[in-house]
Amino acid sequence: MLLQLNNIFKWVNSGGQRIFLLKDINLNVNEGEFISIMGPSGSGKSTLLNVIGMLDGFDEGEYHFLEESVHSLKEKHRANLYKEYIGFVFQSYHLLDELTVKENLEMPLLYKKFKGSERKAMVADMLDRFNIVGKKDLFPAQLSGGQQQLVGIARALISNPKLILADEPTGNLNSAQGEEIMELFKKLNEEDGVTIIQVTHSEKNAAYGSRIINLLDGRKV
Amino acid sequence: MFKLFLKIATRYLLKNKLYSFINIFGLAIGIASFVLIMLYVNYERSYDKFEGSENVHRVFMDYLEGGEYVPGDANAYIVSGPALKEEFPEIENFVRFRRIRDLVVLNNNTPYDGIVGSLADPEYFDVFDHGLVKGDVNTALNEPYSVVLSTSVAQKLFGDGNPIGQSLKIAGDATVTFTVTGVMDNTNRNTHIKNDLLISFKTFYTWKIFENDWKYTWNQNEYYTYVKVAANTDVELLNKKIMAFVPKGFEFKERHHMEPIESIHLYSNKPYEAGTNGNGNNIKLLSIIAFITLLLSWMNYMNLSSSKSLERAKEIGIRKVVGGKKSQLTLQFLSESALLNFMAILLALGAVFLLLPGFNAMVGQNLGLDGTQLTALMPYLGIMLLGASLAALYPAFVLSRFNPAKVLKGQVQTSKNGLHFRRALIITQFVATISLLICTLMANKQINFLKNRPIGANLDQVVALKGQILDRAYDSIFYKDFDVLLEELKRSPYVAEVGCTGTYPGDDFSNMNSNIQLTFPDGHTDETHIWYNYGARPNYFNLMGMDFVAGNAFLQTAEKWSHNVVVNEEMVRFMGIEDPNALIGETIKFWGQDWTVSGVVEDYNHFGMKSAVVPIIIRHDRNTQNVLVKLDQKAITMAGVDKALNELEQTWHQVFPVSTYNYTFLDQKFQALFNEDQKFAKAFQIFTLLAILIASLGLFGLTSYTCIQRKKEIGVRKVNGATIAQILQLLNQNFIKWVGLAFVIAVPIAWFAMDKWLEGFAYKTTISWWVFVLGGLVALSIAILTVSWQSFRAAIANPVESLRDE
Repeated sequence: MLLQLNNIFKWVNSGGQRIFLLKDINLNVNEGEFISIMGPSGSGKSTLLNVIGMLDGFDEGEYHFLEESVHSLKEKHRANLYKEYIGFVFQSYHLLDELTVKENLEMPLLYKKFKGSERKAMVADMLDRFNIVGKKDLFPAQLSGGQQQLVGIARALISNPKLILADEPTGNLNSAQGEEIMELFKKLNEEDGVTIIQVTHSEKNAAYGSRIINLLDGRKV
Repeated sequence: MFKLFLKIATRYLLKNKLYSFINIFGLAIGIASFVLIMLYVNYERSYDKFEGSENVHRVFMDYLEGGEYVPGDANAYIVSGPALKEEFPEIENFVRFRRIRDLVVLNNNTPYDGIVGSLADPEYFDVFDHGLVKGDVNTALNEPYSVVLSTSVAQKLFGDGNPIGQSLKIAGDATVTFTVTGVMDNTNRNTHIKNDLLISFKTFYTWKIFENDWKYTWNQNEYYTYVKVAANTDVELLNKKIMAFVPKGFEFKERHHMEPIESIHLYSNKPYEAGTNGNGNNIKLLSIIAFITLLLSWMNYMNLSSSKSLERAKEIGIRKVVGGKKSQLTLQFLSESALLNFMAILLALGAVFLLLPGFNAMVGQNLGLDGTQLTALMPYLGIMLLGASLAALYPAFVLSRFNPAKVLKGQVQTSKNGLHFRRALIITQFVATISLLICTLMANKQINFLKNRPIGANLDQVVALKGQILDRAYDSIFYKDFDVLLEELKRSPYVAEVGCTGTYPGDDFSNMNSNIQLTFPDGHTDETHIWYNYGARPNYFNLMGMDFVAGNAFLQTAEKWSHNVVVNEEMVRFMGIEDPNALIGETIKFWGQDWTVSGVVEDYNHFGMKSAVVPIIIRHDRNTQNVLVKLDQKAITMAGVDKALNELEQTWHQVFPVSTYNYTFLDQKFQALFNEDQKFAKAFQIFTLLAILIASLGLFGLTSYTCIQRKKEIGVRKVNGATIAQILQLLNQNFIKWVGLAFVIAVPIAWFAMDKWLEGFAYKTTISWWVFVLGGLVALSIAILTVSWQSFRAAIANPVESLRDE
């Protein structure tokens, strides 16, 4: 088992009232799964994704990730955990505008203390794998949305994470580009065994996954 | 509309308390420092400004020093004034002052000392444009034995009664009575030559006190002489003519020279000045600091306001979408600025009122925020308003320029130009603060250097006793009683040694003679260099801890007076003699007499550490001006200094029951010679601290700006594995680079400024590299601390916040 959420609650207090963002979420994810989280706006999809990605905390419940109890870990250990095992893909790509494609890919490696030669090899490999060698010296602004998201995914994958978390990865793309990205996810999942959890609005995109989780008002339905 | 703007502005300021506080506080510091410094600067520059003062000049003497004329004493000869007036029609009038030292006024045998007074020509009132509150200006100083008092002295002597026609005596000659003929108001009269009491100059010719003085010849340049030239006179030309003028019967190698009276207080520091003058260089430096702090605070304001504007992008977008015009938005932000500036000015003025007493104590002045002072500040108010509006316009324009469509989509516009501009502001601020820091450190180093420099004499526990005998003349009986006094003092258990001297290191010029004629042992007569002499009794050297390099002190003689002299090493060099021993027993000539050199003492700094060692001759003289008492260290440690001082005073009054009495600790008086510089260094320090504070506020603002701007980047990097330390490094390294750049620019500026400042000192400390490094490091640490406060918050922020896709 890759991760397990048991009775996760998350809330905020507003005007004396407790508003639940997540309510009693139970979820088991095995390695190699491709899960789609669906639900209307404000149903807690992104919050759940952030909790899984350890970017956000929760107020109650247990979270096990690769036999580690995330809920009892200190902030620093938690950060180390997600840095090592989780890659993030965003709707608006979140590439750094001042860096070239190559440098954007290299950035996570810098923080993981890889040697210069290793970094070069890994970046070259990733550029190759995604067929973007020719774009390596371009800046994000010079790429199309689909190409930018491609770089975003490549960056998420570069340090070999076990889990990719994608928050509406095709939300800013046209249908053709979106399809391309989804095909890529499918390929990554099937051929490389990468576990993927994506948040999506689209039934079509959700269908790429092996399992769909529906959320409504912070609750699994 | 405007009312609405103000309302919104107030709400906005209240909502952003920290921002408003920093902004208002920063501005207020700048304005308050500026006002305080300018009050002081204006005061220092207000000396000798009166109706027609631009036409009044002081006549002083230039000496021929090694073949070139150099400014000599501040005073001229008794006949200088009349001779110049007769020769040059441009000179309309002149006035001479003869200072009366240690003036003690007796009113019905009650002595009053501490009054500054002079003999003065009746033309004083015309030349100095000074009227009388009581009495007739046209006749007040015409008759011998007439005196004019200042209102404060008149009040002290006669209370509220009418002083005109009252009589008083002056200690030293009880046989004559003076009549008060006028009262002048000296309040608000800032002058380098203070006079609380003026005696008609005619008195001089018959008064017994001056019976031994030269009255009609070119001898004794003891007369402060001021001339009033006709308006529109070519002063430069007149000065040239005066310098070339050789009056009849004038045989010294000197020449007359004029200087504007308005510049004396700040720019003249000659021997025998009428009082301690200010330091024009310090005033200039202080003015520069005043403008720097003000500029820094404006830069700060621009910086903070424009960086804060980013947070308001959305508000602006909405305002524009609902139809707000650019001009309206500009006006809105301008009214905010106006409100903020107004509050800052109020706060600053409040601070000035509160800080003024402390500031006065520090600079040793009594500055007030009264009408005249405020009027003097008016021109600067214009500058302040202009600067404030410019500073306010910048953020207003930046804010109103935002493109609404983009800001509403959440894209904060980050103009590269804006960033460059703010960066330039910060670098400029740091150039200023680092320069100030280095200068402060250097100034302190110099003062410590001077303080710790050996004087060449031991002034510890030496007290100079001084007083005036009021009931009798200085005759042979007095000298006998004086010896009794010395014997009595010596007997005290607190006293280690007793001596007598005309003057001592750190004393004023009053018992010091300057000379320009000396015949060396080889018969050569030098007439082109200044040297000094004073009288002392034999045990003076021992008491002062002055070491002999050759020979010895003069021998005690039965008549207590010999033609022996002791010279210092500089004098030996002046005579061109290699071996001091060769001079012992040799004869030199001055004042038309022969003198035998009995000893050579090590060089010592007579005029304080700011001036170099000068050639000095100490004559054997049965001096009575200053009784020097070396206190016994052990005895006073046991009993306390106060007890010892009490006993000294009692002894003095036992021997001379009717007399005034004062005591001075020599070391304190010597150190007081750089009081001015110390005060200056302290002021410099304080305003440097304020400048640093302001610059830090600016940096704080810029960091918050950068952090907002790079929020997304920080989020992305964190999600991709960056640690807090790495983010901190990322955010801080640029600031460190800027401080580094500022340091590189500041070093030559500070170097140049300090090099100039040190020119005013005879003994200079070295401009050491560590001062620069220290200054840079202090600035750097402050910068890192300030920046980290903000960047740490940005670094620990949850990336979820910044990466939300909406």
